[in-house]
Parts: sequence; structure tokens; C-alpha cells
Amino acid sequence: MTKRPRFGLYALVILSVVVSFLPIIWLVLTSLKTTEGIYAWPPQYLPDPFTLKNYINIFTNSPELLLYVLNSFIVALGCTVVALSFGGMAGYALSRLGMRRAGVLMVFILAVSMFPPVSLLPSLFQTFLNLGLLNTYTGLIIAHTGLFLPFTVWMLASYFATLPPEIEEAARMDGMGFFRIFWSIVIPLSWPGFVATGLIVFIFSWNEFPLALVLMTQNAMRTAPVGISLYPGEYAFPWETISTATVIAIVPVLIITAIFQKQIVGGLTAGAGK
Amino acid sequence: MISMISPLDRRRHLTGLAFITPTMLVIIAILVYPILQSIVLSFGQSSIDGSGPYQFVGLKHYAALAGNDRFWNSLWVTLTFTAISIPLELAMGIGLAVLMNEHFRFKGIARLAVLFPWALPTALNTLMWRWMYNTDYGLFNAAALQSGLVDRPINWLGDETLAMMSMVVVAVWKTSSFMALIILAGLQSIPRDLYEAGRMDGMTRWQEFREITLPLLKGPILVALIVRSMDALRTFELPFNLTDGGPVTATESLSLYAYKVIFDFIEFNYGAAIVVVQFLVIFAMSLLYILTLRNKD
Amino acid sequence: MTEVKLDRIGKKYGAVEAVQQFDLTIREGEFLVLLGPSGCGKSTTLRMIAGLESITSGDLTIGGARMNDVDPKDRGVAMVFQNYALYPHKSVFDNMAMALKLQKVPTAEIEERVGRTAELLGLTDYLQRKPAALSGGQRQRVAIGRAIVRTPKVFLFDEPLSNLDAKLRVKMRMELQELHDRLGATSVYVTHDQVEAMTLADRIVIMNGGVVAQVGTPREVYDHPADEFVAGFIGSPAMNFLDLARDDTGRWVSDCGNLALPALPADTGSRSRVRLGVRPEHIEVLPEAPGPAPLTYPARVLLAELLGADALLSLGIGETRLLVRVGGADHPVQGAHLAIRLNPAQLHVFDIDTGRALPRSAAEVPPR
Repeated sequence: MTKRPRFGLYALVILSVVVSFLPIIWLVLTSLKTTEGIYAWPPQYLPDPFTLKNYINIFTNSPELLLYVLNSFIVALGCTVVALSFGGMAGYALSRLGMRRAGVLMVFILAVSMFPPVSLLPSLFQTFLNLGLLNTYTGLIIAHTGLFLPFTVWMLASYFATLPPEIEEAARMDGMGFFRIFWSIVIPLSWPGFVATGLIVFIFSWNEFPLALVLMTQNAMRTAPVGISLYPGEYAFPWETISTATVIAIVPVLIITAIFQKQIVGGLTAGAGK
Repeated sequence: MISMISPLDRRRHLTGLAFITPTMLVIIAILVYPILQSIVLSFGQSSIDGSGPYQFVGLKHYAALAGNDRFWNSLWVTLTFTAISIPLELAMGIGLAVLMNEHFRFKGIARLAVLFPWALPTALNTLMWRWMYNTDYGLFNAAALQSGLVDRPINWLGDETLAMMSMVVVAVWKTSSFMALIILAGLQSIPRDLYEAGRMDGMTRWQEFREITLPLLKGPILVALIVRSMDALRTFELPFNLTDGGPVTATESLSLYAYKVIFDFIEFNYGAAIVVVQFLVIFAMSLLYILTLRNKD
Repeated sequence: MTEVKLDRIGKKYGAVEAVQQFDLTIREGEFLVLLGPSGCGKSTTLRMIAGLESITSGDLTIGGARMNDVDPKDRGVAMVFQNYALYPHKSVFDNMAMALKLQKVPTAEIEERVGRTAELLGLTDYLQRKPAALSGGQRQRVAIGRAIVRTPKVFLFDEPLSNLDAKLRVKMRMELQELHDRLGATSVYVTHDQVEAMTLADRIVIMNGGVVAQVGTPREVYDHPADEFVAGFIGSPAMNFLDLARDDTGRWVSDCGNLALPALPADTGSRSRVRLGVRPEHIEVLPEAPGPAPLTYPARVLLAELLGADALLSLGIGETRLLVRVGGADHPVQGAHLAIRLNPAQLHVFDIDTGRALPRSAAEVPPR
């Protein structure tokens, strides 16, 4: 193979990386500046002086911003656990238990996953209001579970389909019932599928906006994306606080993404390839 | 017929039924029932919390929509936004995917950089960009003014055309990575020996791309396009956080307008009608999606 | 008494009939092989016996009890799968012990039985390993061991050797044979490999398109194939077939006219056309034509392939092509002229339309 010029390649790679990171870098830099530094002219590119004051202020003056992150965490975790449990069982039923019309059901599940979230709002708001589910973790967890279950079912059903069915048949011959096969054979063998799916669902739920906006109307119950977006400023948007809160809110997602890069990419591309 | 089914199969089917029931209940409660109720709401008049009597008013709300310029504007904004951003995302996505398919050092970091914009909440991404677009203190104007490219700050989000373009940039920045990942997976599934055969036939790099890569990427590209189009058609938090639909209504998407009608103007029934129209637009797209998938098998 | 009786068993998937009217009694201790091309219904039949597939019609009895609706674990059968189907996350010991654990057999007895089986199969040193750390042959032994441990009344094998390479397959085949001789349990074995079928089977069931084509001992299906399908399926290389027509003088003549037989060793009735079958190993090759003699024809070698011990000759007799197997030493070369002789006792005659073998005529001349 002939050696192609590498310079152009690296230039393009560096450009892509810089463009991808630019808003995040700018945000982090902003969060490390003093208020004067943020609004200075000529503009400060690097924090001068460098300060952690904004972070300290969040902990002391605006603890609700931390509460938002906690809310997000509870909702995303709850949604992931419920979606994986329900979706795993449904995916197994659809891929392995000889459901009649399994194909039709799969298409139905795919079709309903395409409903625009905003079109659910008028009805969901009323129903949740009547059932007392507004401003509850349970309510938003159920709503998010509904929103992301179709994805979960598809991902896990296609993962189960890659397992050799003979192992489950051998388990039947050994005397296991279907529940036991699912619990002690299928789940242990499918954990990579569960991990990939769970990570993506967690990110989906963490990031979800319209339902979180409408179903959590009390400030103390808001999730991070909504709470930070609606954070009130006295005169203008308080960018020093917003940038700091945003950094705090995206750090968990950044860490998850960085650690589980491979699984997430694998899951995403497998899901879209179907 | 029931008596024909073997007990062996019946046990299996009952287990299947038990396994799928929780999922179906949640999906029906959260997705199916609300859509149906939205349709019912759109044909009537009722109180906000649904406690009052429901009065059937037929197509009244839809007739009102037909004469509502703001509604047509939001539909137009949504379609324009979709039509501009999707081709750009596709071009960027293909470019990034081809790039990521090359061998180079620090590839892990590069792949992470591509993944980050997708993984972060759109609402917060949008805030970051709004901060960079800021007329007085934003990065873009600071750089533009200091370098002498312009002598007056540019009002990125205050001009109708610029605001739409700014919104498109955020969307392209965020979602090109998703396109790239799907196309990259497609690229990596193309057998290497096809390229070796191409080289034996004397193809240039460009010919390889045109004659081998693109035709074989048709499937993944189509899937990515349709998924992304449906996302773009229901875009909500991007204009909500970037411009709140402004200036005036230049970037007010259907979702955003529907939200405002329902929760700001408190007109549930009228909003439901908008939502149903949006649902129909997206339903048409999802039908296309499903038909495409069917044909692929 | 562990007799397995399949009484007109059938399996339908919607409108597709995968298995039709399978009627057979498998005797106590018998090694029965189900043989056929892929999709012939052999695996479906086995899975119906196992209980992994429901039975659409007919009755299955094992040891006298009707089993149609009985759960697999309660049928007293054990199965060995093609791809081993070991639990990858459990040790060899746990794989072999699973069924006993589920039956709530006391731990001491489980250890005793697994230990004894492991010894029998030479797996004692591997009991704590995971399947991934075993070779293909060892995995197959574990799969067999898992079946033996349960002391089932019937062993079911679903192409157990087809994932092994050729050398190991022969070795495992012989081990299976010894094992069967030792345990003497009723066994049903599915394969598409006729060598496995011929060597292992007490009786072979040859299936085609969901229907049983023939049941018989290996010798019977080889010597007296019931129809054209069986004739072509058993034997390698496959039997030669050529169409013959009766001419005015009562002779049977091939379509090109170069092959003519004064009579056929079968009851042709009033048929004017039949299909003749002759195995490549049943055609005698003579050096240059010895002059006119009965059932002897001049031929030319179109292609000669040396396989080692044997050679395959593709012969032309006028327009007719025949494949012939001869000894590998000094075999005729391409272009050589020679003669072939047919032995009436080794000719098979089939009805052209139904493919059924025609009954041997009473006037058959004994060979030689």
C-alpha cells in the first residue's frame, strides 16, 4: 500500500475535535472566570484570574442547581431500571417465546416510538394532574419509561436473537421453566446488551426535555436540563452561574460516555441498523 | 381452535403474554392513550384539568388553524429547518465517518469528541451555543471584532435569517456525530477485498468512494436520514432555549408553538389540534420509515 | 421397556407440513439414525420427541406412556446438540450437574454421578473449567456427559459431530459407537452425513420433504433403495441414472442409442420407459473391448480423477455419461478407450414418474 499524505488527515481530525469540544471548552473556561472576567472587554479567552468562586457559590447560594442534578439522576436511574426489566422481558417474549404476530407487535412498538413527545403533552398533563403524578419521581419515571421502552425492546430483542437458541433448549431439557431460563441463562449471557441499552436509555432520560418540563412544574422537582434552562436571572441570564451549573450537569454524562464509549457506539449503531 | 393448541405451546404463549404485558401497559398508557386523547381533545372544548364537561365542536379548531398565520409560519419554520439541516448533517456525517475510518493516532479521543455533542442534553448544548452567540460577550463576536473582520457586533440571534442559520448550526453540530456513527458502522461492514478488487481494476480514491462506498452505504444513510428527519420535525428545546422562537416567530417550530398554545395561552383543545397535525406529518414519515425497512428485508 | 413409538406423527407450521405421517417404532436399545438433506424434517422429528416442538397430529409414546403434552424434562430423554449448547457461564461440573440439581438430587449423589461420568469420558481434569477453555472435542464430550449423567431412557442426538473437523469427527464417531455399546440405551441420531448414518445405525430412516422415504438397516438402504431419492442420496459418489426406452424388439435402449440391454432384472410391467440406476462402484471396467459380450459396452475416458486409494472415471458411451469408481493404482488415463460391464444383480430400476423402485423380477439371474 502506498503511503498517502498524513498531514491533511491530521489537520481534519484536529479541526473536528476542536469544533466538537469548542462549546464545552468555552463553557468550562467561562465557569472558571470572575464575573468581571466574563463581561470584560477586550474579551478574556483564558480565565484571568482563575477562580473556583462560581463552583463554591453554587454549593452555598444556589443549592437548587445541585438538586436538579440529583433529580435527573433519580429519574434517569429509575427509568433505566424499569425500562430494562420490562423491556428485557418483552424483548424475550418477542424474540424467543413464539409469540404469534411478534413481527406485527415489533412494528407497532417501532411506530409508537415515533410519536412526537409534544403531542403527548396535553393528555399526559391532564392525566398526571388527575392522578396526582405531577411533580413526582414516579410520574416522570413512568413517562420516560414509556418514551424509551420501544428502543429498549428493540435493542434487547435483537440482542437475544443473536444468542444460540440451543442453550435455552438445553436448559428446557435440563428441566428449567421459562422464567428460570430467562433469569439464570438469558440475563447472564446478555449482560453486554443490557449494559449498552441501559447506558443509552440513561443518557436519553437524563437529556429528555419536553416531558420533564411539563410534568415537573415545581422548581424543587425539576431535572437538570429543565432547571438550568429556566434558571431565573435578575437582569440578564446569569452566565457565571449557568455555565457552572451546566458543567456540573454534563459531567456525569461526559464520564459515562468516556468510560463506556465502545458499548454506547455499539448499541447505537446496532439499534439504527435494524 | 383453542383445543387444537398443544399444552406445550400454550405454556409458552402464556409465558410470552406475561412477559410482554408490563411493556404493553406502559406503552399504551404513555404513548397510545395520550395520542388518542389528544385527538379527542382536538375535536372538542373542555376545561384544563379535564374535570369539566367535554363539548364536541367538530372541526372548529382545525378550521381556525387553517386561517392562523402563526401556525402556518411554525409549520414552515419546521420544514425549512429540517430541509436545511438534514443535508448538512448528512454531508458532515459522511465526511466524519470517512475520516474516522482512517487509521491515525489518538483515535479514541477523536471518537469521543465526535460522540460528546450527541451524548449531552440538547437543552444544555443549546445554552452553550447561546452563550457563544451572545452579542455583547459571546466568543464569536469577541473573535470577530478583535480580528477586525467586522466593526460592529453581529446580532446572531436577533436577525430572522441569521437566527435560523444559527439554529441550524447547533443542530448540525449536535447530530452530525449520530449520522457519522451509523455511517461508520456501515463503512466498516464493507468487505475490504472489494477495495482491493477496485484497486486491481485501477480505481482512484474518488472512484472507490463513488463506485463502492456510496452505493453500499445506501441502507445506513437512508435509516439515519429518516430517523434524523423525524427528530428535526419535532424539534423543541433547541428553539425553546436558543431564541424562544424569536425574533418574533422566525424560529418558532411546530412543537414550540403547540407548547405555547397549550401551556402559555392555556388552550388545550386548540393546542391538541396543532399536535395532531404535527403527529400526522411525522406519522407520514414513520410510515415511509417502516416501508423502507420492510423493503430492506 | 423403553420403546419409542411414533404413531403417524405430523408437524404443521401454518400451512407448511414439515413432517407428515411419521410412523415408526424404535426398539429398546436400538440406535436409530434419521438421515436426509437439510429441511427434510429430520430435526423437527427429533425435536418433537424431545418436546422442544409440539406435535400437531399423531401420538408419541415413550415406554408405553403418551408424551405429546408432557414437558421435555419429564419425558426421560436427554439431548446432545450440534453446537454443544453448554452454559458458557457455568463450569463443566455445573453444566453436567444442572439437570440433577433441578431434580433436587442430593449433592453427594450429584458429585458421585458427575464424577463417574466425567471419568468415563476423560473429563475429570476439566470439571472446574468453563466451556470456553475446552477444545471442540472436549466440549462435545461435556455435552454428551450432560446427557449421560441423567441416565435417560432415550438419547437424542442432533447432528452432534458436524461442528468438529474431519479427523475429530471420525474419532468421536467411534467413541459414540463404543458408548452406545456400553450403555445400550435407545438412541435417536439426526445427521445429514451418510457415513455417520451407515456406521452408527442399527436402522436408518431416510427422510425427504417431510416424508419417510425408507426405513431399513444400512445394508438394506444401500442394496435395495426404495426409490430414486434414497438411491441417489446413499452412496458416494452418487448413483448414475439413465433413462431407457423399450424398442420394438423388447430391448431397453438408452436415449442416445449406445447402451442397449436385452432385459432388465425388474418387473417393468407394461412400462415403455424406465430409469436405470447403477452405482459407480458396481461398474466393472475391462481393458479394450473383448468383442461382443452381454452387457458389455465400449467407452472412452473423458476425465480421470485420482482420489488416493480410488480413482473416479468419467466415461462416455456415445452421448451417455457414467461415473465409475476404480482402484487408484494404474487407473486408466484421460482419452483411453476401454469397455465396461454391468452386473444385472447390481442394477436398480425405477419408475420414471413416481421414482419408486420396481420389484426385482422373479427370473432374476443370480450374479456371476
